[in-house]
Amino acid sequence: MTEMVPAALPVDLGNGPFAVTTRGLAKRFGSVRALDGLDLQVPEGAVYVLVGPNGAGKSTLIRTLMGLVRYQAGSVDVLGRDPADRGAEVRAGIGYVPEDYRFGYAWMTVGRLLEHQAVYHPSWDAEYARRLRARYEIDPGRKCHALSKGQSRRVQLVLALAHRPPLLLLDEPTDGLDHVVRDETLSILSEHLADSPTTVVISTHRVYEVEPLVDHVGVLAGGRLLGQLPRDELHMGLLRYWADVPEGWRPPRELSGRVVRRNGSARMIEWTVWGDRDAVTRGLSEAGAAVRDVAPVSVDEAAVALLSGREAS
Amino acid sequence: MKIRLSHADGRPLYVQIMDAVRSGLVRGSLRPKDPLPSVRDLSSSLRVNPRTVSQAYAELERDGLVQVRHGKGTFVAPGVRPEETERPRLAREVARRALADASRYGLALADLMTALGEMDRKVPMETTAHGDNS
Repeated sequence: MTEMVPAALPVDLGNGPFAVTTRGLAKRFGSVRALDGLDLQVPEGAVYVLVGPNGAGKSTLIRTLMGLVRYQAGSVDVLGRDPADRGAEVRAGIGYVPEDYRFGYAWMTVGRLLEHQAVYHPSWDAEYARRLRARYEIDPGRKCHALSKGQSRRVQLVLALAHRPPLLLLDEPTDGLDHVVRDETLSILSEHLADSPTTVVISTHRVYEVEPLVDHVGVLAGGRLLGQLPRDELHMGLLRYWADVPEGWRPPRELSGRVVRRNGSARMIEWTVWGDRDAVTRGLSEAGAAVRDVAPVSVDEAAVALLSGREAS
Repeated sequence: MKIRLSHADGRPLYVQIMDAVRSGLVRGSLRPKDPLPSVRDLSSSLRVNPRTVSQAYAELERDGLVQVRHGKGTFVAPGVRPEETERPRLAREVARRALADASRYGLALADLMTALGEMDRKVPMETTAHGDNS
Protein backbone atom coordinates (compact mmCIF):
# COMPACT_ATOMS: atom_id res chain seq x y z
CA MET A 1 0.00 0.00 0.00
CA THR A 2 3.02 2.28 0.19
CA GLU A 3 3.53 2.37 -3.58
CA MET A 4 4.62 5.87 -4.50
CA VAL A 5 2.39 7.68 -6.95
CA PRO A 6 4.43 10.15 -8.99
CA ALA A 7 3.59 13.68 -7.90
CA ALA A 8 1.88 15.08 -10.98
CA LEU A 9 1.47 18.54 -9.55
CA PRO A 10 4.09 20.89 -8.11
CA VAL A 11 4.39 21.06 -4.32
CA ASP A 12 7.11 23.73 -3.97
CA LEU A 13 6.20 27.42 -4.01
CA GLY A 14 9.80 28.64 -4.13
CA ASN A 15 11.41 31.22 -1.90
CA GLY A 16 8.55 33.08 -0.28
CA PRO A 17 8.26 35.24 1.76
CA PHE A 18 6.04 32.85 3.66
CA ALA A 19 3.79 33.52 6.63
CA VAL A 20 3.72 29.81 7.49
CA THR A 21 6.04 26.93 6.62
CA THR A 22 6.50 23.38 7.80
CA ARG A 23 9.40 21.11 6.82
CA GLY A 24 9.06 17.35 7.05
CA LEU A 25 6.29 17.77 9.60
CA ALA A 26 5.21 14.47 11.14
CA LYS A 27 2.63 13.58 13.75
CA ARG A 28 1.39 10.15 14.73
CA PHE A 29 -1.59 9.25 16.84
CA GLY A 30 -0.71 5.70 17.93
CA SER A 31 -0.07 3.85 14.69
CA VAL A 32 -1.92 6.40 12.54
CA ARG A 33 0.27 8.86 10.66
CA ALA A 34 -1.81 12.03 10.73
CA LEU A 35 0.94 14.14 9.18
CA ASP A 36 3.57 12.34 7.17
CA GLY A 37 6.51 14.54 6.18
CA LEU A 38 4.50 17.62 5.26
CA ASP A 39 6.14 20.64 3.59
CA LEU A 40 3.57 23.41 3.81
CA GLN A 41 4.29 26.85 2.33
CA VAL A 42 1.77 29.64 2.80
CA PRO A 43 2.91 32.86 1.10
CA GLU A 44 2.41 36.12 2.97
CA GLY A 45 -0.90 37.68 2.03
CA ALA A 46 -2.19 34.51 0.38
CA VAL A 47 -5.63 33.03 0.75
CA TYR A 48 -4.59 29.41 0.87
CA VAL A 49 -7.17 26.67 0.77
CA LEU A 50 -6.30 23.31 2.22
CA VAL A 51 -8.43 20.68 0.52
CA GLY A 52 -8.73 17.05 1.40
CA PRO A 53 -11.09 14.31 2.52
CA ASN A 54 -12.02 13.72 6.14
CA GLY A 55 -9.04 12.29 7.97
CA ALA A 56 -6.52 13.81 5.54
CA GLY A 57 -4.80 15.67 8.38
CA LYS A 58 -6.24 19.14 7.79
CA SER A 59 -7.38 19.81 11.35
CA THR A 60 -4.27 18.22 12.86
CA LEU A 61 -2.15 20.50 10.70
CA ILE A 62 -4.07 23.62 11.71
CA ARG A 63 -4.00 22.64 15.38
CA THR A 64 -0.25 22.08 15.05
CA LEU A 65 0.17 25.58 13.60
CA MET A 66 -1.79 26.90 16.59
CA GLY A 67 0.51 25.06 19.01
CA LEU A 68 -2.40 22.95 20.24
CA VAL A 69 -0.89 19.69 18.95
CA ARG A 70 2.71 18.67 19.61
CA TYR A 71 4.50 17.48 16.49
CA GLN A 72 7.08 14.70 16.61
CA ALA A 73 9.40 15.42 13.69
CA GLY A 74 10.23 18.23 11.30
CA SER A 75 9.95 21.96 11.89
CA VAL A 76 7.21 24.58 11.97
CA ASP A 77 7.41 28.33 11.45
CA VAL A 78 4.32 30.46 12.03
CA LEU A 79 4.90 34.22 11.64
CA GLY A 80 8.57 33.68 12.49
CA ARG A 81 7.98 31.54 15.57
CA ASP A 82 7.77 27.87 16.47
CA PRO A 83 4.35 27.24 18.02
CA ALA A 84 5.75 24.26 19.97
CA ASP A 85 7.70 26.50 22.35
CA ARG A 86 6.10 29.93 21.83
CA GLY A 87 2.49 28.87 21.53
CA ALA A 88 0.92 31.82 23.37
CA GLU A 89 2.81 34.38 21.26
CA VAL A 90 1.88 32.57 18.07
CA ARG A 91 -1.78 32.32 19.04
CA ALA A 92 -1.92 36.05 19.82
CA GLY A 93 -1.29 36.72 16.12
CA ILE A 94 -3.86 34.27 14.82
CA GLY A 95 -7.59 34.48 14.30
CA TYR A 96 -8.71 30.88 14.68
CA VAL A 97 -11.99 29.23 13.84
CA PRO A 98 -11.73 25.71 15.23
CA GLU A 99 -13.38 22.68 13.72
CA ASP A 100 -15.28 22.21 16.98
CA TYR A 101 -18.10 24.70 17.36
CA ARG A 102 -18.52 24.27 21.12
CA PHE A 103 -17.03 26.92 23.37
CA GLY A 104 -14.73 26.37 26.33
CA TYR A 105 -16.66 29.08 28.19
CA ALA A 106 -20.09 27.59 27.61
CA TRP A 107 -21.62 29.37 30.61
CA MET A 108 -20.66 32.84 29.36
CA THR A 109 -22.96 35.09 27.40
CA VAL A 110 -21.80 35.94 23.91
CA GLY A 111 -21.33 39.59 24.94
CA ARG A 112 -19.14 38.56 27.87
CA LEU A 113 -17.11 36.24 25.61
CA LEU A 114 -16.47 39.09 23.17
CA GLU A 115 -15.33 41.35 26.03
CA HIS A 116 -13.07 38.57 27.27
CA GLN A 117 -11.49 38.29 23.82
CA ALA A 118 -11.09 42.07 23.59
CA VAL A 119 -8.96 42.07 26.75
CA TYR A 120 -6.79 39.24 25.43
CA HIS A 121 -6.07 40.99 22.10
CA PRO A 122 -4.63 44.54 22.29
CA SER A 123 -5.50 45.03 18.62
CA TRP A 124 -9.20 44.28 19.22
CA ASP A 125 -11.30 46.63 17.06
CA ALA A 126 -14.46 47.13 19.13
CA GLU A 127 -16.26 49.10 16.42
CA TYR A 128 -15.51 46.37 13.86
CA ALA A 129 -16.67 43.70 16.31
CA ARG A 130 -19.93 45.60 16.77
CA ARG A 131 -20.47 45.87 13.01
CA LEU A 132 -19.78 42.17 12.49
CA ARG A 133 -22.10 41.24 15.34
CA ALA A 134 -24.85 43.32 13.73
CA ARG A 135 -24.32 41.82 10.28
CA TYR A 136 -24.41 38.33 11.74
CA GLU A 137 -27.47 39.21 13.89
CA ILE A 138 -25.79 37.87 17.00
CA ASP A 139 -27.63 38.40 20.27
CA PRO A 140 -24.99 39.28 22.91
CA GLY A 141 -27.33 38.18 25.71
CA ARG A 142 -27.40 34.53 24.64
CA LYS A 143 -25.47 31.94 26.61
CA CYS A 144 -22.76 30.24 24.54
CA HIS A 145 -24.05 26.75 25.37
CA ALA A 146 -27.47 27.69 24.00
CA LEU A 147 -26.18 28.58 20.53
CA SER A 148 -26.91 26.45 17.49
CA LYS A 149 -24.01 25.24 15.37
CA GLY A 150 -24.51 28.03 12.85
CA GLN A 151 -24.80 30.70 15.56
CA SER A 152 -21.60 29.42 17.20
CA ARG A 153 -19.78 29.61 13.88
CA ARG A 154 -20.81 33.23 13.45
CA VAL A 155 -19.57 34.10 16.95
CA GLN A 156 -16.31 32.25 16.24
CA LEU A 157 -15.85 34.24 13.02
CA VAL A 158 -16.34 37.52 14.90
CA LEU A 159 -13.82 36.40 17.53
CA ALA A 160 -11.32 35.50 14.80
CA LEU A 161 -11.71 38.62 12.64
CA ALA A 162 -12.26 41.48 15.10
CA HIS A 163 -8.65 41.76 16.29
CA ARG A 164 -7.48 41.97 12.66
CA PRO A 165 -4.73 39.37 13.13
CA PRO A 166 -1.93 38.92 10.57
CA LEU A 167 -2.97 35.28 10.17
CA LEU A 168 -6.38 33.64 9.97
CA LEU A 169 -6.66 29.87 10.40
CA LEU A 170 -10.20 28.88 9.48
CA ASP A 171 -11.04 25.22 9.95
CA GLU A 172 -14.25 24.49 8.01
CA PRO A 173 -15.43 28.10 8.50
CA THR A 174 -18.69 27.64 6.58
CA ASP A 175 -19.64 24.43 8.37
CA GLY A 176 -23.14 24.73 9.83
CA LEU A 177 -23.94 28.02 8.08
CA ASP A 178 -27.07 28.28 5.95
CA HIS A 179 -26.84 29.64 2.40
CA VAL A 180 -27.55 33.25 3.28
CA VAL A 181 -25.10 33.39 6.17
CA ARG A 182 -22.44 31.61 4.12
CA ASP A 183 -22.84 34.17 1.37
CA GLU A 184 -22.65 36.98 3.93
CA THR A 185 -19.48 35.39 5.35
CA LEU A 186 -17.80 35.44 1.93
CA SER A 187 -18.71 39.10 1.58
CA ILE A 188 -17.33 39.83 5.06
CA LEU A 189 -14.10 37.99 4.25
CA SER A 190 -13.72 39.91 0.95
CA GLU A 191 -14.03 43.21 2.81
CA HIS A 192 -11.73 42.03 5.57
CA LEU A 193 -9.04 41.19 3.01
CA ALA A 194 -9.46 44.59 1.35
CA ASP A 195 -9.17 46.41 4.70
CA SER A 196 -6.49 44.43 6.57
CA PRO A 197 -3.27 42.82 5.35
CA THR A 198 -3.92 39.20 6.23
CA THR A 199 -2.72 35.73 5.36
CA VAL A 200 -5.53 33.19 5.40
CA VAL A 201 -5.49 29.41 5.58
CA ILE A 202 -8.91 27.86 5.02
CA SER A 203 -9.36 24.16 5.56
CA THR A 204 -12.40 22.64 3.95
CA HIS A 205 -13.70 19.63 2.11
CA ARG A 206 -16.23 21.87 0.36
CA VAL A 207 -13.85 24.07 -1.57
CA TYR A 208 -16.54 25.31 -4.00
CA GLU A 209 -17.98 27.34 -1.14
CA VAL A 210 -14.88 29.49 -0.79
CA GLU A 211 -13.37 29.08 -4.25
CA PRO A 212 -13.72 32.71 -5.47
CA LEU A 213 -11.65 33.96 -2.52
CA VAL A 214 -8.79 31.55 -2.91
CA ASP A 215 -5.45 32.25 -4.61
CA HIS A 216 -3.38 29.25 -3.44
CA VAL A 217 -4.33 25.60 -3.23
CA GLY A 218 -2.92 22.71 -1.24
CA VAL A 219 -4.40 19.24 -1.69
CA LEU A 220 -3.82 17.06 1.35
CA ALA A 221 -4.29 13.30 1.62
CA GLY A 222 -2.87 10.85 4.09
CA GLY A 223 -0.87 13.58 5.82
CA ARG A 224 0.93 14.62 2.64
CA LEU A 225 0.46 17.26 -0.02
CA LEU A 226 -0.46 15.95 -3.48
CA GLY A 227 -0.13 19.44 -4.88
CA GLN A 228 0.60 22.96 -3.62
CA LEU A 229 0.47 25.79 -6.12
CA PRO A 230 -1.01 29.17 -7.03
CA ARG A 231 -4.60 28.88 -8.23
CA ASP A 232 -3.73 30.59 -11.54
CA GLU A 233 -1.10 27.92 -12.25
CA LEU A 234 -3.59 25.21 -11.44
CA HIS A 235 -6.08 26.86 -13.76
CA MET A 236 -3.56 27.02 -16.61
CA GLY A 237 -1.82 23.71 -16.08
CA LEU A 238 -4.45 21.20 -15.03
CA LEU A 239 -6.86 20.74 -17.93
CA ARG A 240 -9.51 18.28 -18.97
CA TYR A 241 -9.12 16.79 -22.45
CA TRP A 242 -11.90 15.16 -24.42
CA ALA A 243 -10.76 13.10 -27.38
CA ASP A 244 -12.06 10.45 -29.76
CA VAL A 245 -9.74 7.46 -29.88
CA PRO A 246 -9.60 4.31 -32.00
CA GLU A 247 -10.53 1.07 -30.27
CA GLY A 248 -7.61 -0.48 -28.42
CA TRP A 249 -5.86 2.88 -28.33
CA ARG A 250 -2.69 3.14 -26.26
CA PRO A 251 -1.81 6.41 -24.57
CA PRO A 252 1.48 8.12 -25.39
CA ARG A 253 4.27 7.24 -22.98
CA GLU A 254 5.31 10.85 -22.37
CA LEU A 255 2.01 11.45 -20.60
CA SER A 256 2.61 8.78 -17.98
CA GLY A 257 2.65 10.38 -14.54
CA ARG A 258 0.88 13.48 -15.86
CA VAL A 259 -2.57 12.01 -16.16
CA VAL A 260 -4.28 12.86 -12.92
CA ARG A 261 -7.57 11.18 -13.71
CA ARG A 262 -8.79 8.89 -16.50
CA ASN A 263 -12.42 8.68 -17.51
CA GLY A 264 -14.14 7.72 -20.73
CA SER A 265 -15.30 4.79 -22.75
CA ALA A 266 -13.95 2.54 -25.50
CA ARG A 267 -13.73 5.28 -28.15
CA MET A 268 -13.71 8.42 -26.05
CA ILE A 269 -11.40 9.62 -23.33
CA GLU A 270 -11.98 12.31 -20.74
CA TRP A 271 -8.65 12.82 -19.08
CA THR A 272 -7.49 15.36 -16.54
CA VAL A 273 -3.84 16.02 -17.33
CA TRP A 274 -1.19 18.26 -15.77
CA GLY A 275 1.09 19.95 -18.30
CA ASP A 276 1.47 22.46 -21.10
CA ARG A 277 -1.76 22.54 -23.12
CA ASP A 278 -0.11 22.51 -26.55
CA ALA A 279 2.34 19.76 -25.63
CA VAL A 280 -0.36 17.52 -24.18
CA THR A 281 -2.67 18.13 -27.17
CA ARG A 282 0.20 17.35 -29.57
CA GLY A 283 1.12 14.22 -27.60
CA LEU A 284 -2.48 12.97 -27.75
CA SER A 285 -2.85 13.83 -31.46
CA GLU A 286 0.39 12.15 -32.45
CA ALA A 287 -0.75 9.03 -30.64
CA GLY A 288 -3.88 8.97 -32.80
CA ALA A 289 -6.42 10.68 -30.53
CA ALA A 290 -8.63 13.41 -32.04
CA VAL A 291 -8.82 16.07 -29.36
CA ARG A 292 -12.35 17.53 -29.31
CA ASP A 293 -12.19 19.89 -26.39
CA VAL A 294 -9.87 21.19 -23.70
CA ALA A 295 -11.21 22.98 -20.64
CA PRO A 296 -9.89 24.16 -17.31
CA VAL A 297 -11.23 22.58 -14.13
CA SER A 298 -12.40 24.29 -10.97
CA VAL A 299 -10.37 23.95 -7.78
CA ASP A 300 -13.06 21.60 -6.53
CA GLU A 301 -12.87 19.41 -9.65
CA ALA A 302 -9.07 19.48 -9.48
CA ALA A 303 -9.18 18.22 -5.90
CA VAL A 304 -11.66 15.49 -6.79
CA ALA A 305 -9.50 14.43 -9.75
CA LEU A 306 -6.32 14.34 -7.66
CA LEU A 307 -7.90 12.52 -4.74
CA SER A 308 -9.85 9.94 -6.74
CA GLY A 309 -6.94 9.36 -9.11
CA ARG A 310 -4.85 8.59 -6.06
CA GLU A 311 -7.35 6.07 -4.73
CA ALA A 312 -7.54 4.34 -8.10
CA SER A 313 -3.78 3.85 -8.38
CA MET B 1 -22.16 48.27 -13.84
CA LYS B 2 -23.63 44.88 -13.06
CA ILE B 3 -21.34 41.89 -13.14
CA ARG B 4 -22.25 38.25 -12.90
CA LEU B 5 -19.37 35.83 -12.62
CA SER B 6 -19.70 32.27 -13.78
CA HIS B 7 -17.56 29.51 -12.44
CA ALA B 8 -18.58 27.34 -15.36
CA ASP B 9 -17.19 29.98 -17.72
CA GLY B 10 -13.70 28.49 -17.57
CA ARG B 11 -11.97 31.85 -17.89
CA PRO B 12 -10.19 33.30 -14.86
CA LEU B 13 -12.36 35.57 -12.71
CA TYR B 14 -10.25 38.65 -13.42
CA VAL B 15 -10.78 38.19 -17.17
CA GLN B 16 -14.53 37.94 -16.61
CA ILE B 17 -14.42 41.21 -14.63
CA MET B 18 -12.43 42.86 -17.44
CA ASP B 19 -15.00 41.74 -20.01
CA ALA B 20 -17.84 43.04 -17.85
CA VAL B 21 -16.18 46.48 -17.87
CA ARG B 22 -15.68 46.25 -21.65
CA SER B 23 -19.30 45.26 -22.05
CA GLY B 24 -20.35 48.27 -19.92
CA LEU B 25 -18.37 50.53 -22.28
CA VAL B 26 -19.96 49.00 -25.36
CA ARG B 27 -23.48 49.29 -23.90
CA GLY B 28 -22.82 52.86 -22.85
CA SER B 29 -23.54 52.22 -19.18
CA LEU B 30 -19.91 53.18 -18.58
CA ARG B 31 -18.61 56.34 -20.24
CA PRO B 32 -15.24 58.09 -20.32
CA LYS B 33 -14.26 59.53 -16.89
CA ASP B 34 -16.95 57.50 -15.05
CA PRO B 35 -15.79 55.99 -11.76
CA LEU B 36 -15.62 52.22 -11.42
CA PRO B 37 -16.69 50.60 -8.13
CA SER B 38 -13.95 50.55 -5.50
CA VAL B 39 -11.93 47.35 -5.20
CA ARG B 40 -13.43 46.81 -1.75
CA ASP B 41 -17.05 47.27 -2.87
CA LEU B 42 -16.75 45.19 -6.02
CA SER B 43 -14.90 42.31 -4.35
CA SER B 44 -17.43 42.35 -1.51
CA SER B 45 -20.43 42.28 -3.85
CA LEU B 46 -18.88 39.57 -6.06
CA ARG B 47 -17.56 37.64 -3.03
CA VAL B 48 -14.10 37.40 -4.61
CA ASN B 49 -10.58 38.08 -3.40
CA PRO B 50 -9.87 41.85 -3.64
CA ARG B 51 -6.65 40.97 -5.44
CA THR B 52 -8.72 39.55 -8.29
CA VAL B 53 -10.46 42.91 -8.75
CA SER B 54 -7.14 44.79 -8.43
CA GLN B 55 -5.66 42.50 -11.07
CA ALA B 56 -8.57 43.16 -13.44
CA TYR B 57 -8.25 46.93 -12.93
CA ALA B 58 -4.48 46.81 -13.41
CA GLU B 59 -4.87 44.86 -16.69
CA LEU B 60 -7.55 47.29 -17.88
CA GLU B 61 -5.18 50.15 -17.06
CA ARG B 62 -2.45 48.47 -19.09
CA ASP B 63 -4.89 48.24 -21.99
CA GLY B 64 -5.51 51.99 -21.64
CA LEU B 65 -9.18 51.61 -20.75
CA VAL B 66 -9.08 52.87 -17.16
CA GLN B 67 -6.92 55.08 -14.98
CA VAL B 68 -6.11 54.16 -11.40
CA ARG B 69 -5.76 57.41 -9.43
CA HIS B 70 -4.17 56.83 -6.07
CA GLY B 71 -6.47 57.56 -3.18
CA LYS B 72 -9.30 58.52 -5.53
CA GLY B 73 -10.26 55.31 -7.24
CA THR B 74 -10.42 53.89 -10.72
CA PHE B 75 -11.97 55.76 -13.64
CA VAL B 76 -12.71 55.07 -17.27
CA ALA B 77 -9.92 56.71 -19.28
CA PRO B 78 -11.02 59.99 -20.91
CA GLY B 79 -10.05 59.11 -24.46
CA VAL B 80 -11.69 55.67 -24.67
CA ARG B 81 -13.64 55.05 -27.88
CA PRO B 82 -15.55 51.83 -27.21
CA GLU B 83 -17.22 51.73 -30.64
CA GLU B 84 -13.89 51.64 -32.42
CA THR B 85 -11.92 49.30 -30.17
CA GLU B 86 -14.05 47.48 -27.61
CA ARG B 87 -17.06 46.53 -29.71
CA PRO B 88 -15.03 44.60 -32.32
CA ARG B 89 -12.82 43.16 -29.61
CA LEU B 90 -15.75 41.91 -27.53
CA ALA B 91 -17.39 40.55 -30.69
CA ARG B 92 -14.23 38.60 -31.54
CA GLU B 93 -14.15 37.15 -28.04
CA VAL B 94 -17.82 36.10 -28.19
CA ALA B 95 -17.26 34.63 -31.68
CA ARG B 96 -14.22 32.71 -30.48
CA ARG B 97 -16.25 31.19 -27.66
CA ALA B 98 -19.14 30.36 -29.99
CA LEU B 99 -16.71 28.65 -32.34
CA ALA B 100 -15.14 26.65 -29.53
CA ASP B 101 -18.61 25.63 -28.38
CA ALA B 102 -19.54 24.61 -31.93
CA SER B 103 -16.46 22.44 -32.33
CA ARG B 104 -17.32 20.82 -29.01
CA TYR B 105 -20.53 19.59 -30.65
CA GLY B 106 -18.78 18.58 -33.84
CA LEU B 107 -19.95 21.62 -35.81
CA ALA B 108 -17.85 23.67 -38.22
CA LEU B 109 -17.60 27.41 -38.83
CA ALA B 110 -19.89 27.08 -41.90
CA ASP B 111 -22.68 25.53 -39.77
CA LEU B 112 -22.43 28.42 -37.37
CA MET B 113 -22.44 31.03 -40.14
CA THR B 114 -25.53 29.48 -41.71
CA ALA B 115 -27.37 29.39 -38.41
CA LEU B 116 -26.41 32.99 -37.61
CA GLY B 117 -27.56 34.14 -41.07
CA GLU B 118 -30.94 32.49 -40.57
CA MET B 119 -31.34 33.96 -37.10
CA ASP B 120 -30.51 37.43 -38.38
CA ARG B 121 -33.42 37.24 -40.82
CA LYS B 122 -35.89 35.91 -38.27
CA VAL B 123 -34.97 37.78 -35.12
CA PRO B 124 -34.13 41.46 -35.31
CA MET B 125 -30.84 41.83 -33.44
CA GLU B 126 -31.19 43.76 -30.21
CA THR B 127 -27.58 44.71 -29.84
CA THR B 128 -28.14 48.31 -28.85
CA ALA B 129 -31.57 48.13 -27.24
CA HIS B 130 -30.45 46.00 -24.26
CA GLY B 131 -30.64 47.22 -20.71
CA ASP B 132 -27.60 46.78 -18.53
CA ASN B 133 -28.44 43.37 -17.21
CA SER B 134 -25.48 41.18 -18.15
